[in-house]
Amino acid sequence: MSSPLDTPDDDWWDQAINRRESIWLGLAGAWSIIIFGWMSAFTRIGDQNPIGETLRVEASEYQDKMQSYKEAAGEQDGALVPPDTDVYIAAFRFNWDGTPVVLETGTEYDFHLSSYDVQHGFSIRPEDALSKQMNFQVLPGYEWILPMEFDDPGTYHVICNEYCGNGHRTMHGTVEVVESL
Amino acid sequence: MSSSYDVLGLFDNDYDENGFRTCSVTGLDLHRTAENHVKLFGLTAVIALLIGGIFAFTVAMTRWEVVGLLEPADFYIHLSLHAWNLLIFWMVFMEIAILYVGGPMILGRRLPITGVAKAGWLTMVVGALTINVSIFLTSPPDTAPLLTAYAPLQSPPAFYAGVILFIVGAVIAALPFFLTLWRERREHPGRSLPLVAFGAFVTSIIAVEALVGGLITFVVTFLWRIDVIAWMDAAWYRQMYWTIGHGSQQINLAAMVTVWYFLTHVVGGAEVISEKVSRTAFVLYLFFINLGAAHHLMSDPAVSVGWRIFNTSYAFYGAAFASMIHAFAIPAGLEAGRRKRGMGGGTFGWLTNAPWSNPVFSSTIFSIILFGFLGGITGVVMGQMQVNMTWHNTFATVGHFHGTVAVGTTLAFMGLVFFVIRTMFQRQLAFDRLGTLQPFFYAGAMGIAVIMMMYAGILYGVPRRTAEVVQNIPGTEFSLSAASPLFAIFGVFAILAILAGAIFLVVAVASLLVGDRVTSPEDNADLVADGGSPDGGKPVHAFEMRGTFLVCLLFMAVFVVSYVLNWYLLTELWSVGL
Repeated sequence: MSSPLDTPDDDWWDQAINRRESIWLGLAGAWSIIIFGWMSAFTRIGDQNPIGETLRVEASEYQDKMQSYKEAAGEQDGALVPPDTDVYIAAFRFNWDGTPVVLETGTEYDFHLSSYDVQHGFSIRPEDALSKQMNFQVLPGYEWILPMEFDDPGTYHVICNEYCGNGHRTMHGTVEVVESL
Repeated sequence: MSSSYDVLGLFDNDYDENGFRTCSVTGLDLHRTAENHVKLFGLTAVIALLIGGIFAFTVAMTRWEVVGLLEPADFYIHLSLHAWNLLIFWMVFMEIAILYVGGPMILGRRLPITGVAKAGWLTMVVGALTINVSIFLTSPPDTAPLLTAYAPLQSPPAFYAGVILFIVGAVIAALPFFLTLWRERREHPGRSLPLVAFGAFVTSIIAVEALVGGLITFVVTFLWRIDVIAWMDAAWYRQMYWTIGHGSQQINLAAMVTVWYFLTHVVGGAEVISEKVSRTAFVLYLFFINLGAAHHLMSDPAVSVGWRIFNTSYAFYGAAFASMIHAFAIPAGLEAGRRKRGMGGGTFGWLTNAPWSNPVFSSTIFSIILFGFLGGITGVVMGQMQVNMTWHNTFATVGHFHGTVAVGTTLAFMGLVFFVIRTMFQRQLAFDRLGTLQPFFYAGAMGIAVIMMMYAGILYGVPRRTAEVVQNIPGTEFSLSAASPLFAIFGVFAILAILAGAIFLVVAVASLLVGDRVTSPEDNADLVADGGSPDGGKPVHAFEMRGTFLVCLLFMAVFVVSYVLNWYLLTELWSVGL
């Protein structure tokens, strides 16, 4: 008997493998390669990749960047209008600096994400389609520059999805996307 | 010989003059030292399960915002206690017990250096108590650590010290296991280990990798917390933390797979259909499984694309391939083993006529099925770098790891506890009807709760780790209240799952305290795999495995569909990234 509790026979390496097990090994191996290949290829052919440039930045440095950005930005109904295609967002306990902000569809913006204090999560979705959501980790000390281009106008809500303290649940900001600015 | 401190008579089995006795169920020669320490670690684990289970209730009843049990500050403390007691203490104490089963018991040896084992246990207990107390007493400006204690958020200094103690204790407790294997190899240099011992050995190496990584992380973080060093980097912390944060879950995985091989064999009559294939799968775990820690860093700014793709795929899915091997080999071992015993019949007769009234068997089978379908598939899918953007830090990830550790590992370990009560504590199960129903009840209720968590996360973007956002986000009109119906289902089934967990504890504790003693082998005869004596002529790999093959094809179909649906949802999003 081939018991998992006993020392196996000396020739255990040479024992035959059941045909169905061999077929399964082939299927599982092929599937492993397919999903690796697809993930890898998608970084070249896909439109949704969590890939951007990363800079090291001190919190005070990032605050300065935010300050200059705000000074250059326009204003529309109390929301920022970025001066060009750079959009600065900073998470801090317990709010999103740089929001609300107004953007337009069809323009590729560079979102700059960083934190003034602890780790946060940038979780964004349009108001009318909650299943269309994406999430990025926001770290103090790092400025992540993620290109984004919106297809549909509407109000996009940003909430924090990394625990950052007792007020965590109150972190909320909006990105207003319009047809054209 | 029993100790005068053993008032409950839990450590009083009869042994021969060499300290051994033969188990009537497994046929293994058990030494008193091994058995008593398995009991010690197992009992401690069950206490952690009780504590963690209590907080499961308060946490779930806060997430179900209609009930809204706790205020945020309390919620994060309760959530931390829930995580540490279940994900770490319950699991790791069980895993040390599993090492002592997989080493000394399987090999018929005594447990060496029992003083070291006890010192390891004591250190782990002191560490666990320190962690629990420090979390409970957390007050501003400190924050509750949750499982991750993500720096630069600060938790109480005692918390980090407790973690260091617990990790050191676990390493110490593993030493007698390593010495057992060392001695076995010295005495029998050319002999292969039995598969279960081999699995335990692979588990122990994965464990040491995780524990050493954790030690480095928490020593540095502790020094930072007590202001000995000023430097702390959030990205460094994340990458280092996950060596133990996810590595510890890979210990659970490897230990659980080892338990699957063990219990399907003992109570179901499973055999090893290919030592070569199953051992190769364990070796793949050894090399690649710990790369899976990278799953947590897929949506992070500080690691490169190449690093993420290589690691999240466990180097070209080496470890996912290994899991798919076990997914076939274990049920096929059951199928072929039972056919060999004359317990076949049609395509699924071997399964339908199996000892389903034995909770050890049913909990093992449900663990295998639910781990694969709920935990395994989602783990690989959400671990794809791009898909991770839609899963990262949502409630769906919580669904994923309750699919792995709650309906997977915890259920398998519950079966193992029942088995240890019957065969080592030598007690019949009290309320045995309830015991028979328990795995069905827990698997069903927890399985549905898990699926609701996944839907809430993926379809409504509900975040994890928050006291409130579905009904109300303070300060804005916006909320995720569209997900409320899912939370109603989640809440009800979470209560039922916790009730099933409570039933497990009641049956286990009552059996220990008032269960009838097992006095002769006949009392435990129902645990022994049914069917005739195995036919010696035909090797097990020559038996039919079509039932398993069909189940695995179904698994693959669900895998492919889940994969495609997740990618479809992703490509519906606006464009992001370079």
